[in-house]
Amino acid sequence: MSYRYGRPALKSSVDVQLQTAFSDGNWSTVIRLAAKRAATLKDPYYEAIRMCAESQLDGTAEKCAVLAAVDDLVKTKKTADIDTVELYEWACRDFFAFDVEYADTLGPLRARWAKANPGSPLALQCLQACLDKWDLVSAQQIATSLDKAYANTADRRYMFWNITLTFLLSISPQCTDASRKVYSLLAIRQLERAADLTENSAKLEPTDRGLLTEEEVCLYYRVLHSHGTKEEFVSRLKSPKLGAISQLKEGRKLLFCEGLDALETWGEWELIYNLCREALTLGLEGGTSPFFVCDLQIWRKLASAASKVPDSDSSLGEVQAVLKRYIEMKDTASAMYKKNLSLALLETTFRLPATALNPNHDSTGLSPRVVQIGLFLDQYFERLSAFDDVKGYVAELGFDEVKRLMEDVLPKMLDEDADTARKTVLNALECRLRYLLTTCPQTLSPQPSVVDGPTQDKPFQCRLCTNPASLPCESCLRKLIVDASNAYKQISGDKALLDAIPRLDKDPRLDLALVLGTSLLKLSGLRPRTTDVGHSLWQAVEPGLFLQAVLLLDAQLKETPGDTELRLLLVQLYLLLGCASYAHQLWTPLDVKRTIQDALSPLFFDRISTLSPGLFHGSRPLMEPLRSFYNHNLGDKSPVRIWDAFLAGSYTSILDMTKHDGNLRRSCTLMMALVEDRRAIRCYGGKVDCEIEEHPLTENIDDDTTMVNKTDYGPFPNLESFHGPPIHEYLRLGPGLSNERSHLAFLSEQYLDLLLYKPPKDYKPSKQTEVALRDREYTLETLSRLSSSLTDFLHQPATPSRLTASETTYYTVLSLLSATLLIALSTPRSDAVPKTLSLLTGSIKSAFASLRTDFFSLSTSSTSATKNKSLPGACATFTEMPTLSAIRDTALAIKHSAAFVLACHDKELARDRSGRSGVHRDVLAEMRVLDLTAGKALAEVKGHVLRLKEALGEGGWLDRVLDLVFGGEEEEGDDEVTRAVEEVVGGRGAAEEWAGRVVESWREGVKGWGMVRME
Amino acid sequence: MANFRRFRPDDLNKLSKCNLDPFTETYELGFYLQYYAKWPALFQVAEDQHGNIIGYIMGKLESSPDVYRFSEHYLPWHAHITAVTVAPEARRLGIGKLLTEQLEVAADANDAWFVDLFVRVTNHKAITFYKNMGYSVFRVVKDYYGEHSTDPSLSSEDAYDMRKPMKRDVKREHVRDDGEKHEVDPSDVW
Repeated sequence: MSYRYGRPALKSSVDVQLQTAFSDGNWSTVIRLAAKRAATLKDPYYEAIRMCAESQLDGTAEKCAVLAAVDDLVKTKKTADIDTVELYEWACRDFFAFDVEYADTLGPLRARWAKANPGSPLALQCLQACLDKWDLVSAQQIATSLDKAYANTADRRYMFWNITLTFLLSISPQCTDASRKVYSLLAIRQLERAADLTENSAKLEPTDRGLLTEEEVCLYYRVLHSHGTKEEFVSRLKSPKLGAISQLKEGRKLLFCEGLDALETWGEWELIYNLCREALTLGLEGGTSPFFVCDLQIWRKLASAASKVPDSDSSLGEVQAVLKRYIEMKDTASAMYKKNLSLALLETTFRLPATALNPNHDSTGLSPRVVQIGLFLDQYFERLSAFDDVKGYVAELGFDEVKRLMEDVLPKMLDEDADTARKTVLNALECRLRYLLTTCPQTLSPQPSVVDGPTQDKPFQCRLCTNPASLPCESCLRKLIVDASNAYKQISGDKALLDAIPRLDKDPRLDLALVLGTSLLKLSGLRPRTTDVGHSLWQAVEPGLFLQAVLLLDAQLKETPGDTELRLLLVQLYLLLGCASYAHQLWTPLDVKRTIQDALSPLFFDRISTLSPGLFHGSRPLMEPLRSFYNHNLGDKSPVRIWDAFLAGSYTSILDMTKHDGNLRRSCTLMMALVEDRRAIRCYGGKVDCEIEEHPLTENIDDDTTMVNKTDYGPFPNLESFHGPPIHEYLRLGPGLSNERSHLAFLSEQYLDLLLYKPPKDYKPSKQTEVALRDREYTLETLSRLSSSLTDFLHQPATPSRLTASETTYYTVLSLLSATLLIALSTPRSDAVPKTLSLLTGSIKSAFASLRTDFFSLSTSSTSATKNKSLPGACATFTEMPTLSAIRDTALAIKHSAAFVLACHDKELARDRSGRSGVHRDVLAEMRVLDLTAGKALAEVKGHVLRLKEALGEGGWLDRVLDLVFGGEEEEGDDEVTRAVEEVVGGRGAAEEWAGRVVESWREGVKGWGMVRME
Repeated sequence: MANFRRFRPDDLNKLSKCNLDPFTETYELGFYLQYYAKWPALFQVAEDQHGNIIGYIMGKLESSPDVYRFSEHYLPWHAHITAVTVAPEARRLGIGKLLTEQLEVAADANDAWFVDLFVRVTNHKAITFYKNMGYSVFRVVKDYYGEHSTDPSLSSEDAYDMRKPMKRDVKREHVRDDGEKHEVDPSDVW
């Protein structure tokens, strides 16, 4: 549409005077002239012009008259002419942002017109207009009309638009349950007919209604997968023309890949095995280009399927035979495929049954698996991805194999090589593998002296170092730190080696620093932080070792500032340490912007308002890029660029883009952005733009919506094995984004919106009693809904593992408060207050008291960081500011709830002076108690922030932090680990600047907290 | 370690290994989706065993607008490489070359006369890479880039418009040997 939504051009038959008045926006003249012309010419078009002009006036009745006219047209089933429809659409444009649905108004008018005029080019515009508004019902009707009008023409798009839209409608919430089955059948039957025609025709012409292009074929399979049976899908996948292999022969790989994915979900291993083998053989025999399907995942699927089919021994033998043939022609392959073949060899070796691998039961550990890893590393150990390529396989090895690999195979690899740079790289890789093994349970054996019963610290014996151990083995980690530090120093002290680094794939010091850092973190006792808020970071870890890790990695970042893995790791560590402003400084150069924000922003922004609200006080709103990303891409109801895909005949793109758009609208990151922003605004007494439920970006989110978490942890370094959690789970402030947390946050914000709502100042309703009754009804309905939803989400089985303990308390208290308020406001003054009320308020008080006690006791309890007076007591909470924030938020929610009830009571008293309709006396008393409790808690929070500020204002902070890192003067140099770290970072003197930055960041954080409102 | 396949929108959540590299530009969502909508076969990715995208190529098929048909700068039906990138950890494995070759296959399948691309004249590594793949300089676009990549005192930088003829161009009508000598203005490039 050329104007969408600029002012439309009137028909050329309209006289100049009216045209001019319309284009000038001279609405009163337009109304007068159009009314005159309508009376004279009896042309309803002029009536439409008049109505559109009236819609531009200020009066509500005039504005809405056009809606009534559209509604009338829809109901009377009249077909308005297209110019009138265009005018009406322009006049109604602002209503679509509210509750007026295009599918109930303009959509049907457009569909009706297109049905009557399918041959007109304007019918296509009608389709586009409906798609722009994502009115699938009308769009499908128009596509059907177009398909009929253009059946058996060379333009095949209409047929496939019709099918695609019928399918989209069948899976859309816009489709009624009654029609869903009809549309599903319609889509699949049309495609089946087309598929049969293709299979049964010698040659298809573009005018035939068969499947010709790759997009058409893949659309068929997508619909079949969704609406057909497994048997139909499988049978078609093997068919002579539309089968995966025949399509592959035509150079079409998409169906082959998608088909295999579908088969894998059904466990159809035999067919997977046959298809992969056939496809790979095609490459060998010239049926396709040689390496067309030589992807690692195809080899993996083949090997995995071969191990699962009935005659797995012979199938695996056949896999090896095909692989051997590929290896024979390896010389002609590109480096990428050579590597894929080497990995395929590893994969098949690991999938072979143990008996086939080790027929003589050789227990020396030099198994074919170890040999293959050795051969692979021999070729690729210098590559940046070498560790990642083999780590999964190494973690699968038995202990004897591990021993052989580490003590025999790796050390001998460069025996006769004089290149020290290569040796250094191998040494760094060996350190990474040693770290990996500390995360593998096969390196431990049960300790014979340990008896069943009480949990013991070190219930195992490490098979590598023979010391008593838990996972990870502390002795192995200590030794690894010392060895990695020595290797690091060796590089730093050797000019020739330093000069060689630019020629290498990666600076080996970086690998060593990552090993050192993660080993120190593990040694410090760091574990994934989930619901254990009772333990502050300083209680959970040995602060010295933790800070050593941060210092060492920070020092490495100076050497390799361009390494994003290291930078991200440090961002997380500083957030954990409570140094949000410094973490932000490190985050900014990553330049996370535009499209990648949805996946990467949570790595910095999740819980940021609770950690450091002061960050929101910068010159540019912190969340602006995220907000702008979502506004820009979700502003329209249709998926971005969807019409392009229709025009290009990219049917699978249409389906994928629709799915992607749906996911983006349900993004946990989107909810995080909205909620973080609102929390920060409230911290500083600002006014939120609109109620969260009214926000355009939450339009389609309700309790039944499954929120989607697409956080990308791909760029994190990960030395861990698959036996334990990945490293990012150790580093987060709490559990990652989730459906449950997003909903709880959304509901909580709705609850606060209800409490904090203030009617406009000029709002003076004439029928006060009626309005009061309606308000009351709305309040009770909302409270009932929120209470029930909050309770439901809190009680979902996964919820406890998705929240930190303080978050659980906050959401629990809100759920209890909403139930309390429901009872408080619905209990007549004359009735007895239900006992439930006191139970609810009792639960609120005890949950809140427990949260406060846990937090404030941190200031007094002895942690490793505070016990030797390295840090003042209050400072044990630097790392626990999200809990302090939860206390403040909970206190304010209680305070606002109490105030809400008291205000309701006051309003009722003012309205009904009889005193019969107010809130019950006992309830009022209970509310005052709650208010008092909240007030006390807020005073405690304020006092705590003040204490932190005072503590940070004292002198001697650099020494305090450095003492924590290196120990005091008397301890310095005692411990081999500390010595190892000192030698890498250049000693205490070199760490001073770093300590200064840490302290400064704490100060900035506390300064931000100092400005937070406590009311 | 790599699989080659067609891009899908979910890959946008897995771009970090490529796009956190400062030399790779991150575009607006609509830009990626425009390519996926119009030319899905020319938008290919390489992914690692964990599903991370470690390389991608975005291309399009087009000709100059008809209004320029008789201009000397008119471009007939051809494929254009808009972006090609490989994550640091996946370099030196020929992934860029494989992705480019796949785009060329798609260009041939769509009967394109040639594949073209723009590259900074100072990006010697890329120029050599493309030359080794059969591309040659067709023309120099003066001041094509708004800033200079290596010299901050300069406010612009020239681009080479490089081309490789496809099967359709049997007589090699759309390439030239002395492209470095043919200079055009950015306004001549559509």
